[in-house]
Amino acid sequence: MHIAIKMLVGNRGKYFGMVFGVFLSAMIITQQSSIFTGLISRTFGFLTDTTYPDIWVMDPMVQYVDDFKPMTDTKLLQVRGIDGVASAVPLYKGVLRARLEDGSFQQTNVIGLDDASLTGGPPVMLAGSVADLRKSDGIIVDEAGNNKRFAKKNPIPGGPKIPLAIGDTLEINDKRGVVVGIARVQRTFQTNPVIYTTYSRAMSFAPKERKLLTYILVKVHPGTAIETVATRITKLTGLQALTNAQFSDSTVTYFLKNTGIPINFGIAVILGLIIGTAICGQTFYGFTLDNVRYFGALKAMGASNVVLLKMIFLQALLVGLIGYGSGTGVASLFYFLSKNSELAFRLPWQILAITGCAVTFTCLIAALLSMLKVIFLEPAIVFKGE
Amino acid sequence: MSGQTVTPALRGIDLEINQGELFMLVGPSGCGKTTLISILAGILLQDTGTCTVLGQNFKEMKDSARTAFRGATLGFVFQAYNLIPTLTAVENVSIPLLLLGTPRAEAEARAAAVLAKVGLAGRERSRPAQLSGGQQQRVAIARALVHNPQVIVCDEPTSALDKDAGHNVMELFREVAMDDNRTLVIVTHDNRIFQFADRIAVMSDGKIEQITSDVTNLH
Repeated sequence: MHIAIKMLVGNRGKYFGMVFGVFLSAMIITQQSSIFTGLISRTFGFLTDTTYPDIWVMDPMVQYVDDFKPMTDTKLLQVRGIDGVASAVPLYKGVLRARLEDGSFQQTNVIGLDDASLTGGPPVMLAGSVADLRKSDGIIVDEAGNNKRFAKKNPIPGGPKIPLAIGDTLEINDKRGVVVGIARVQRTFQTNPVIYTTYSRAMSFAPKERKLLTYILVKVHPGTAIETVATRITKLTGLQALTNAQFSDSTVTYFLKNTGIPINFGIAVILGLIIGTAICGQTFYGFTLDNVRYFGALKAMGASNVVLLKMIFLQALLVGLIGYGSGTGVASLFYFLSKNSELAFRLPWQILAITGCAVTFTCLIAALLSMLKVIFLEPAIVFKGE
Repeated sequence: MSGQTVTPALRGIDLEINQGELFMLVGPSGCGKTTLISILAGILLQDTGTCTVLGQNFKEMKDSARTAFRGATLGFVFQAYNLIPTLTAVENVSIPLLLLGTPRAEAEARAAAVLAKVGLAGRERSRPAQLSGGQQQRVAIARALVHNPQVIVCDEPTSALDKDAGHNVMELFREVAMDDNRTLVIVTHDNRIFQFADRIAVMSDGKIEQITSDVTNLH
């Protein structure tokens, strides 16, 4: 095995070529998959933030979290009366235009929380509190939106924009909103800033329509099966009732089916795999061809096929491990550096496992080609001279 | 059949090589020398007939057993040396021992001792590219000797060396390799070294034309 390693690393050019192939493959697969996962997880970012409800109740035609198909307010009363429902509160979610101090407009996601309980509020408050929404005209703005989209012009020419502070105002549909808090929320897929307010205030912000209730957030009685209550709600009201996980899944499914995201990222991932396999496979095979007479000599000197295959497997394993480690390492560094940026980048362990499988595949193909050459190698080649 | 004519590489070979003998196979290119030593070394199996080495009939052995037998009882000196360029001299020489399962430290110690025996003390850590052709051949000889094989098969051991270096190598074979009643089979074109042989077999067109112990009697 010592010989196998020295044969591999002794030829620096070929060795680095092979490692580079796997590195490139691992890095592209990890990076593209992470951006893909980051983008997709943004589609249900609001659901990740809103962990309170056991069940989300909505119009039966709703396909994903931003597919607003409002219901009449009477549906809330219907749901509250269903057996197993401990509490049911309304939630408004819509896209409205906010007018900024300088007169420009900004599309914004407005979320109206139940006036009494303020259920479904932002997960992390950076300034103020959710209870401050009870103050007159109170709104909470999200940190990312506030720092960029809502930020005011700096009176000093060329100076950085100034984020809104508590007490600053916005205009939404000609209604005044006073900033009472700053929150940190998950980035949304549309990248719109987010405004939290009370349900009744959201009703006043939204253009007048007969139906404005977007979701009903349901908490079931402790000890009651959530799925049973969800089925009951659907049966008795005709509404769609989904758990948080089911709603997230249906949102992801919608985006996967109806957008080009999976195809675009899938192509990049497959390209990474092909490029990596091609570079690594070709270089590894070339390396074996270069060494074929030494393998022949080893075979003549008593090395069995098993020993030679172990040598090639070890060489492939080493190339794979170093390439995988450096590729995923660079991708992880990228993740670390982009953590606080707007870039959608999410690196769960599953991606590292998938990349590991892809790299294993790459190295196996490369090793297999070489192994075939060595298994069928005629040791008499060593007597044929150079 | 494709209609091509099948020409046997070897015909009517009847040869016995004695233990402790330095035996040379000579003849023009394409006469079957390489095929014959490949068979003698258990690397190639003959289509018909029997080849017995140290009482073992290769054709009756499984491939794995033949490989193991070759590793334990045969040493090789190849024409192109076939030293692995990324390994040092001592690492190259230790290969047969490592293949026999000897621990690395012990294998390298024994390899260093054999390198000293062939006059390469102090060059243990040199790579093949840092050695002259003659020195590389000495490393190859040390590799063939290190595991004390009973038979050493050499393919054109002096073809790349000048007369003096060739003589030195043959003297080395006489001094070192012929210890312990070892048998040496050498395939060569090089008539400058015929004088070192105990017997010489002259091959032509797949057949042994003559076997003689008298160099002057060669024709």
